[in-house]
Amino acid sequence: MPRKLERKPRIAVVVTAVFFVWLYLPIVAVVLFSFNDKKSLSSFSGFSLMWYDDLVHNGALLDSLMASVKIATIATLVSLVLGTMLALGLDRVRSRKTQVTLGAVTLLPLVTPEIVTGVAALLLFTGIGLKLSMTTVILAEITFSIAYVTVIVRGRLLGVAHEVEEAARDLGCTHFQALRLVLLPTLAPALVGAGLLVFALVFDDFVLAFFTTGVDPQPLPVRVYSSIRFGVSPAINAIGTLMLLASALLIVTALLLPRLFGRGSSSLDLITTGEPL
Amino acid sequence: MSNTSSTTPSVSLRGLTKVFGGSTVVDGLDLDIASGEFFALLGPSGCGKTTTLRMIAGFSDPTSGTILVGGEDVTSTPPHRRDVNTVFQSYALFEHLDVRGNVGFGLRRKGIDKRTRDKRVSEMLDLVELGDRGKERPSRLSGGQRQRVALARALINEPKVLLLDEPLAALDLKLRHAMQAELKAIQREVGITFLFVTHDQDEALSMSDRVAIMNQGVIEQCGTPEDVYERPTSVFAAGFIGTSNLMSGTWSQGCVRLSPTVAVPAPGHQGSAEGDAVSVAVRPEKIWLSDLTSAMFRVPGTIVSTVYHGATTQYLVSITPDLTLTVLEQNLPRMRAEDRWNAGDRVEIGWLPEHTVVLT
Repeated sequence: MPRKLERKPRIAVVVTAVFFVWLYLPIVAVVLFSFNDKKSLSSFSGFSLMWYDDLVHNGALLDSLMASVKIATIATLVSLVLGTMLALGLDRVRSRKTQVTLGAVTLLPLVTPEIVTGVAALLLFTGIGLKLSMTTVILAEITFSIAYVTVIVRGRLLGVAHEVEEAARDLGCTHFQALRLVLLPTLAPALVGAGLLVFALVFDDFVLAFFTTGVDPQPLPVRVYSSIRFGVSPAINAIGTLMLLASALLIVTALLLPRLFGRGSSSLDLITTGEPL
Repeated sequence: MSNTSSTTPSVSLRGLTKVFGGSTVVDGLDLDIASGEFFALLGPSGCGKTTTLRMIAGFSDPTSGTILVGGEDVTSTPPHRRDVNTVFQSYALFEHLDVRGNVGFGLRRKGIDKRTRDKRVSEMLDLVELGDRGKERPSRLSGGQRQRVALARALINEPKVLLLDEPLAALDLKLRHAMQAELKAIQREVGITFLFVTHDQDEALSMSDRVAIMNQGVIEQCGTPEDVYERPTSVFAAGFIGTSNLMSGTWSQGCVRLSPTVAVPAPGHQGSAEGDAVSVAVRPEKIWLSDLTSAMFRVPGTIVSTVYHGATTQYLVSITPDLTLTVLEQNLPRMRAEDRWNAGDRVEIGWLPEHTVVLT
């Protein structure tokens, strides 16, 4: 009987294979055609780095890439600070009812359709007379990212916070020292995880950026979208491949960093399972 | 180690009160804990014992009253400037530091130089038998080892009093018994006052010099383990520690009348007026089923049930239809299975007058 159970059902193998092909074939195509020596996006005729060369000389696209890196970096740093402060503040709310209500309000941006957030941000900025620019994109992205940071940091706080912080104060720390010397290092894996997640989300966010960006330089996803309307250049494939490489590096870093902190589990577990480490 | 004058109590609480949203959790506590004492605050959950501990540590502000540590008023001193350290129930170890980093944390905050610190950390780790685990992360240690790191981390600061919040609650039974003995030995060695919060009566009785039984924010009784076990002063204390046969009756001519036919003499009791409602408590192991002497209070009864417990046998003995007593008999070497009483047997039970505890 157990022998029968051990046999893998062939259908499961097939479904799994189809799933992975479905998932990765388009990405493989992007990588492959970024090395094509023709402009064609349907037949691969030979290997070349011409589209990477093209990219390096495409000033507008590079400007957009830099703009997106800048937007994502600033939005990540600011939302990490604000989101962590919010999580710490929520943790200190005495009344259970207030805490639950505030927690729910914090989560609202996660479930609001992004297009609503985008339109709202656009109306707000034009309403108060703020000229659309990279600044408005950053502001909109920060508002949107704080919730992610807060949710992840709170997950970690629930497990450890009170007694660890009290232990620090018991052993001679002021409130601020307890935060700096014990609470933040304890939260480090969650902060790294939250930072990576927010960076990845903001970097390729299209909807919010589309509604709130000014003319120049446009964030990369907006730029790619508008250039596709005038015909696709394989330079886009090249930039896609580079981004893929960058994200892969980020993920590897995220997996390795916790080892440096000496933990068995990684901050990615926190994102994927939502469980405090 | 402790050179503080033994006449100054380590901890004094004066009218300590804590009100949370309208309910009084700790109600006018007065308590003195002597230097070097192993003191247990024992009570059911929600009795205010942990709140009391948190107020002494400084994590919770009293609504009124004062807290003195080593004779010094610390009522409004923040926790980091109190000469008090805590062993937390969850241990609250710092996961980003190794064991040595955890143990040395307090000394580092005090600005003790690295050489001295290293030496003291090593001594402390030897004391808790973790000398070889200094470089480990806390997450890699077992429950008992984590517990000892938490203990070392607090003790190294040589506080005037060490507060322990149910420190053994998270350990399994066998380890808990081992740690009880170890904790007691460590306390004797370092000579620091231990104030220990627990809901486990075994723990409180076996480890402490004195026990305070707390209920609904007040101390019901405070004394040596023998005092509180042998001479409970309230119905709550008698029922909470160990098991007691609690019988209610009325005070009449030096006796407690339990029923028209049964009256238990209580020669030592004072302070009750004729006709007052009082209770009598007798421990099950103080009641004899055989070898009764003339000095005993004796009453006939019927065995209702017999339960064999290995070291002891527990009998339920019915005296009147409304009065059934539990009797615990040691299974002594000379006793054989056929010597045990069976349900339905008519017996006479008795106990010595000093084992009759009258509660008002």
